[in-house]
Amino acid sequence: MNPGVRFLINYAVPIIFIILVAFAIPLSGLSGEYFIRELTIRLSRNSFLILALLIPVMAGMGMNFGIVLGAMAGEIGLVFITDWRIIGMPGMLLAMLISTPIAVLLGYFAGIILNRAKGREMVTGFMLAFFMNGIYQLFVLYGMGNIIPISNSSILLPRGYGIRNSISLLGIRQVLDKLIPLKIGDILIPVATFLVIATLCVFIIWFRKTKLGQDMRTVGQDNEVARVSGINVERTRVLSIVISTVLACYGQILFLQNIGTMNTYQSHEQVGVFAIAALLVGGASVAKANIPNVFIGVILFHTMFVVSPRAGKALMGQAQLGEYFRVFVSYGVIAFSLALYAWRKRVEKENERKKIMNYRKSILVK
Amino acid sequence: MKKKIQNIIENFGLPRIIIFLFLVLLFILTPFVGIRFDTSINDVIVRFGMNGILVLSLIPMVKTGCGLNFGLQLGIIAGILGAVTSIEMNTTGFTGFFTAIGIAFFFAIVFGFLYGLLLNKVKGDEMVVATYVGFSSVSFMSIMWLMLPFKSPNMIWAYGGSGLRTTINTKGYWFHVLTDFLQIKIGHYIIFPTGTILFFALLTFLVWAFFRTKIGAAMIVVGSNADYANSCGVNVDKMRSISVILSTVIAAIGIIVYQESFGFIQLYTAPLFMAFPAVAALLLGGATVGKASIKNVIIGVFLFQSILTMTPSVVSNIIKSDMSETIRIILSNGMIVYALTRITRVRT
Amino acid sequence: MRKRIIIRTALVSALILIGIFLYVIGKEHKVLIDNRDISVGDITYSASTTYVVRVDNQEIGVIKKGERNAAIVTGVSHKIVVEEIKSNVLTGEKHEKRFRLKNNESATVNIPAMINNANEWIDKTN
Repeated sequence: MNPGVRFLINYAVPIIFIILVAFAIPLSGLSGEYFIRELTIRLSRNSFLILALLIPVMAGMGMNFGIVLGAMAGEIGLVFITDWRIIGMPGMLLAMLISTPIAVLLGYFAGIILNRAKGREMVTGFMLAFFMNGIYQLFVLYGMGNIIPISNSSILLPRGYGIRNSISLLGIRQVLDKLIPLKIGDILIPVATFLVIATLCVFIIWFRKTKLGQDMRTVGQDNEVARVSGINVERTRVLSIVISTVLACYGQILFLQNIGTMNTYQSHEQVGVFAIAALLVGGASVAKANIPNVFIGVILFHTMFVVSPRAGKALMGQAQLGEYFRVFVSYGVIAFSLALYAWRKRVEKENERKKIMNYRKSILVK
Repeated sequence: MKKKIQNIIENFGLPRIIIFLFLVLLFILTPFVGIRFDTSINDVIVRFGMNGILVLSLIPMVKTGCGLNFGLQLGIIAGILGAVTSIEMNTTGFTGFFTAIGIAFFFAIVFGFLYGLLLNKVKGDEMVVATYVGFSSVSFMSIMWLMLPFKSPNMIWAYGGSGLRTTINTKGYWFHVLTDFLQIKIGHYIIFPTGTILFFALLTFLVWAFFRTKIGAAMIVVGSNADYANSCGVNVDKMRSISVILSTVIAAIGIIVYQESFGFIQLYTAPLFMAFPAVAALLLGGATVGKASIKNVIIGVFLFQSILTMTPSVVSNIIKSDMSETIRIILSNGMIVYALTRITRVRT
Repeated sequence: MRKRIIIRTALVSALILIGIFLYVIGKEHKVLIDNRDISVGDITYSASTTYVVRVDNQEIGVIKKGERNAAIVTGVSHKIVVEEIKSNVLTGEKHEKRFRLKNNESATVNIPAMINNANEWIDKTN
């Protein structure tokens, strides 16, 4: 296959996206400065979460929808510190501290379930996220205030138990973002947050070189080869999900600290879909994802996000259209990427088979 | 004796048995919490009729090895298009109902065909792709609902907005045409929706008969072992396509029956998650990712809808709060997760 | 094996300690500051002039006679500084007091009582 064509196919998603975005930006009529400001915020807000997706891909688990579980763990931590009224940096750090064991537990649970659904990790992960949402609701909407003591009544529902739909996180709002303030023109740059993101990137690069990281890559390449080499395949896979879930937990806390309010029941719902869509838009695939994919993905995906409502309005006269368009694109990107990847996988398998057949034939002929 | 019990548990799966026992418990509890037994039974029967066909639609694809149809939404959209067009054309009663089905039929075949093409290219990963294709199409249609040139005043936004409303009432068109057909009243509270149940039985019979034909049998062979089928001269791709089209068509009919019974056509984001309860019901009835039969549909829909109807009323009366939504989420999604982790199939 | 258990216990204990530490220094407390008359037993301290108030390192601002303001502080030990101000000029009269707030406590500080070094200058509630 012509390398040019191969490049186009491999990177079909980001290419299509760039074209779409290039089209929509002038349509929306938004200024360059607006974009830069929005993108800076969105980069600082979302990158951590998306970086959390990289490790499971390395281990061959595909796109980890289980990050939703990590997000839920983070939110539970935030509920507690809001209840206890812990503010500022200590508040955010304490939230991270408390939610870590929860995230580890959820990640472990998810990992075990995914291990029993080998070959179907993505669907299972997806359904698992929905299932856990139900358990989360059980816990937060019914358990809190009831079995789990909550003393701060301002976050409880009027009926006396269950957390409200939306909690103010004013106490920790932008606490990391503003830690090291830097202003360029009109734009406030959250230096500390970017430092944290950079640290995570370094961590991921370092992790790849460790023994565990290498094990994961081997498992990701081929389970059997890994097993024969003495690697505990099951354990490695579970570990990759645990790490990813914990990172997602912190990522969600970072995300919410920027926004300043938490939608108790909605904030984590779209986390999985948007993060995965962004990663795919950045050129990643189910089997291969690296750090540049994350950042390119965030920029492209979120530009589309920002631009859609305006472009929808300009094109059709209805901003609502832009909203639906966003959702459509998010899902569509994933559908398209997955289909493309699955198709490529089959084509490669077919080619492999043909090669072996031809080889055999050539031997017979001899 | 112990071995026998163990065998039964393994075959049916512990969760299913737990759910069944839970259901029995609920039924026993009804009179004690002040709910009429007969209204509950009536609810269950009505909901059975409402949802049965949607679950039935999953069968062709499972039998042919295409997995669980998480892209059910495509059939649903075809059905909605049919329903909305029939209302636009101002048809009522049975004429309206069958017009809806007819138009939906046409759309379903087109959608099913394209969907089938896609699924044939991604053998082995059908379920994931299907899920997202389903979602994207619902989102895409949300844009379409806003833009398509429908004019019937009962359907578009009031005050001169453009585009269809979120829910459209079928009252006055073909609401309850099946349910009221040959209705049987038992006592005060039980209104047996004979029409709906008869229609379900009809479709079930057609499906059963179909799989006894040559094509049906070929499809089953493709489902158990595609390579073997190939070597027998069966065109695997064509069989898979037919199963997808069949599933989509039945789903389109299913959603129209649902709307007829429910009274509303739900557009925009409502169909997004409709695949999951159907899949969960099928799995609850004993099906797996690779095997499903009509028996599974009947048992599954019955169990699933019973739990959905009974749990809220009973639990709400005991715990004094409405947990139905949360329970539904845990149950239907938990069931699917469980089924996905049961058997690992090696696919070619 | 034993070494692993010891290290792990030590780690977990350290984390718990850090957690407690964060909890304490991050706990939010509300401090109300009154510039009002207050009666203690037979003695009444009356508010007479305006003060500029600082709690820890936060500028609370000007509290006139009869007014009340509030400060939100975190942690255990705190310092409140009040300086008299007349016609927008600091007179040089300055008072400073330290106080500690435990777990769920919030406090109300009364400026007249504080200036006169009365024992009831601060009232803590849970």
